[in-house]
Amino acid sequence: MTESKLSIVDLTKRYAAGLEPAVDRLNMEVEEGHLVALLGPSGCGKTTTLRMVAGLMDPTAGSIVVDGKEITHTPVNKRGMGMVFQSYALFPHMNVEQNVAFGLEMRQVPKAQQKARVAAALDMVQLGHLGKRQTKELSGGQQQRIALARALVVEPTLLLLDEPLSNLDAKLRETMRTEIRSIQQRTRATTLFVTHDQDEALDMADRIAVMNGGLIEQFGSPTEVYERPRTHFVANFIGQANFLDARVGAETGRANLAGESYYRVEVEGLGQFGAVGSAGLAGTTHELVIRPHRLGVSLAPGPGPAPLAGTIERVSYTGDALAVAVRVGEKLLQAQMPTISGDLPRVGDAAYLSWAPEDAYLLPAPGAVAERLAA
Amino acid sequence: MTLLEAPAAPERPRAKNEGQLERATERRNRRTYLALLLPGLLGLLVSFVFPLAYMVRMSFNQGSPDGVIVETFTLDTYIQPLTDPYYWKVTLDTFQMGVTVGVLCVLVSYPVALFLARSTSKYRGLLIAIAIAPLLTSAVVRTYGWMVILGTNGLVNSSLTGLGLIDTPLKLTNNMAGVTIGLVEIFMPYAILAMISGFGRLSPQLEEAAGSLGASKFKVFTRVTLPLCLPGLLTAFLLVFVLSISTFITPRLLGGGSVQVLATEIYDQTTGLLNWPFAAALSVILLVLFGLIIAVYQRLTRKIGG
Amino acid sequence: MSEAKVFKPRFNPAKPAFGLLVFLLYLFLLAPLLIVFVVSFAANQYLSFPPEGFTLKWYGMLPQEGTFMEGMKVSLIVAVIVTLIVLALGVPAALALDRFEFKAKAAVQSFFLSPLLIPSIVLALGMVLLFGPLKLTNTYAGIVIGHVAITIPFVIRTTLMSLATTDTSCEAAARILGAGSWTVFRRVTLPIIQPGVIAGGVIAFIVSFDEAVISLFVAESGLPTLPVQVLRYVENSADAAVAALSVILILISLAVVVVVERVMGLRKALR
Ligand SMILES: Nc1ncnc2c1ncn2[C@@H]1O[C@H](COP(=O)(O)OP(=O)(O)O)[C@@H](O)[C@H]1O
Ligand SMILES: [Mg+2]
Repeated sequence: MTESKLSIVDLTKRYAAGLEPAVDRLNMEVEEGHLVALLGPSGCGKTTTLRMVAGLMDPTAGSIVVDGKEITHTPVNKRGMGMVFQSYALFPHMNVEQNVAFGLEMRQVPKAQQKARVAAALDMVQLGHLGKRQTKELSGGQQQRIALARALVVEPTLLLLDEPLSNLDAKLRETMRTEIRSIQQRTRATTLFVTHDQDEALDMADRIAVMNGGLIEQFGSPTEVYERPRTHFVANFIGQANFLDARVGAETGRANLAGESYYRVEVEGLGQFGAVGSAGLAGTTHELVIRPHRLGVSLAPGPGPAPLAGTIERVSYTGDALAVAVRVGEKLLQAQMPTISGDLPRVGDAAYLSWAPEDAYLLPAPGAVAERLAA
Repeated sequence: MTLLEAPAAPERPRAKNEGQLERATERRNRRTYLALLLPGLLGLLVSFVFPLAYMVRMSFNQGSPDGVIVETFTLDTYIQPLTDPYYWKVTLDTFQMGVTVGVLCVLVSYPVALFLARSTSKYRGLLIAIAIAPLLTSAVVRTYGWMVILGTNGLVNSSLTGLGLIDTPLKLTNNMAGVTIGLVEIFMPYAILAMISGFGRLSPQLEEAAGSLGASKFKVFTRVTLPLCLPGLLTAFLLVFVLSISTFITPRLLGGGSVQVLATEIYDQTTGLLNWPFAAALSVILLVLFGLIIAVYQRLTRKIGG
Repeated sequence: MSEAKVFKPRFNPAKPAFGLLVFLLYLFLLAPLLIVFVVSFAANQYLSFPPEGFTLKWYGMLPQEGTFMEGMKVSLIVAVIVTLIVLALGVPAALALDRFEFKAKAAVQSFFLSPLLIPSIVLALGMVLLFGPLKLTNTYAGIVIGHVAITIPFVIRTTLMSLATTDTSCEAAARILGAGSWTVFRRVTLPIIQPGVIAGGVIAFIVSFDEAVISLFVAESGLPTLPVQVLRYVENSADAAVAALSVILILISLAVVVVVERVMGLRKALR
């Protein structure tokens, strides 16, 4: 494994004695050039973590290491980072160029060089022509880009973004998403990106740290956190999921090179099925996760292996997809099917559900917060 | 990168130096804000606290007609005004003036404030500015303006004699009437400012709603508008009252020596009679009255507000 | 549009009556200022009505009135020094009150605003009592110290108002970009709160410039300020020369009003 660009070791923040910590012994390794998304619900400690890395806030305990050097005690203005705020925080009394040049001025870069670098940074965000404008004359998206240029022009050791897209409207948010990602990839700036939007995180990040209650529940690539959620919280927060309590029976074979196995599992009230999970789960009780769009729905009993028979309780049509809720015994399962021209299924119709063993995943752990609460 | 990393283990011991960095920053911050506050606090100490404290001490000294101050600790300076009917009269006159000016000022300011609070005109900002701008003009100049208007040869008397309505000029200066008129006008901007801030909850929609429920114009005013305005009116009254009983310039100029209130009495005790301890005692009495009124006011507003 | 007519309010006689009332009250409010204007251009030898013709002679007389010119000089010097001192004391204090957390904050803030609650005659007496033995009466230092107490609240209030409405993330952004505390203050905070600082400064200037009571007590005999000179003059005679001077004072106030209204709004600055 290569040396990490950023290591966060046991980072803790307690806003006041007696309060639950906002960030609780958080650990994370970020590789050079990666964009890491801190993803979690509001209040889970994302901003707190980011501000501690930036140096805007003192950690209660723990350390922050950048390029092998501990910077926990380095003052914020000596850390050489770049940050983009949710409110953009452009200096209202300076024009666009002066805003972008500010960091270079602080570094006493010669005037001529400043000019060239500011121009290059503005070109990078495609706003080279707006240099002389006052910042309040610009649209939200443009201000956003100026803030990005201002952070990147100093070639920061780390680029920190705190919900940079949440003040933009939906359309612009998608454009800016791609743009930020492509600029980040071009500059190879190691980036921490705070968001509560799972789509943003899945789309942009090399790694996602899913946070909950001041802890990282899972750290992994977008496919890992989506396909192999470690906990109920992660599976639930990222995408939609059906959860079923399953008694894990015998191992029925090796599933893949990652060391996962197939199991026979039994779900009360539904019967026995195939599922996949990490090794050594036989004889335990675990939660089974099935994504709605991996559940096969047919309106007639097909030839497949023992489909579950149920009744459609809700239908929701969104044009490109059809979401149905199917009652099977006690359980209500969410499923998705492609829209079909012709008759749509109706509430009360019979439906038959089936899934491939690969798509039913056994969660390996109860979840960090649950563990803490139990402890 | 393994698929399943170990979660943060809750059992891990906490670091020994927990909170060290935060405490260091807190110490640094404390030094910073103390350094920022210090010049201002010192400035107020010298220009505000010391003079008042010195004055309170002075009020327990013994004065003498030739201006010599005898350092002592006596209550004579307080007993004298509290037992002499003359000072009771001055105090009562001061209060009466305060109440009259307060009531009149509220009466003449209320329509303006109501108009400004409800106005949706694009000139509203300008009209508000005009209404409160006189606050920043010299009290001496405005009082002089009133002398020109109310004086024996002033605008009012000249107009009335010119129209043949009166033969001898009305006496509008060098008496309480003139002082009252002048003070009402001088404190109007304060009253208007207090009222428009206090009318926050008043909205045309509310009045329209009451109207649509069948209330008459008069009912809407007495049942909706006025109760909503009440806190603002009360604040304005007390502000004007407090300002009136302590004002000096206007009673001095428009009163022309024949209106005696606490403020002019304090001045006369110093410049005329050189009785410094006595003047100090009168000032302390005025301050105590002030404190009482403000305390009562806060009680009242809390009652109305809660 | 026949439908629109249905909603057209009937003529309501109360409305113009109320408008007229408000107009008359405005007239009452501005009467002393307007009358001073009129009188200052009136040719009447002595104060009387109606005005008999237009003249500028009262204005012409002003430069020869030694007491007025002397008073003007004293008042200007005092007001400028007071403004500078009060800004230097008040802006940092407001910064501490807004940007830092500490226990006694509410108390300290009330303390800074409290001189406005004290009758100026009481303050003035305290000052003359204290300054006498210290040989500060009839000196610039005495008047200036006296005016600091009553002007500091304005600067604190307007600066706090500006600080409260600014986004602290600008300051955070500047620090991350490498600026130290002083640079952040000079390059970011101060420009952002500039409206409040300017408003506080010009209000402090005009309050000191127009202040009469403290100046009267502290320096009547030796260093009378312009308001004190006017006060004395008016006590003895109410002729029109002082009207011309008053107009000039009003115009200075008007300039202050315009500046405050432009930078932050008069109502916000004075409440
Ligand atoms: N200044 C503060 N004082 C006390 N508690 C705070 C402060 N800032 C944040 N918190 C608390 O810390 C937790 C984490 O906040 P934050 O890091 O802002 O969450 P996020 O950015 O993930 O929404 C929240 O419970 C929040 O209420
Ligand atoms: Mg946040």
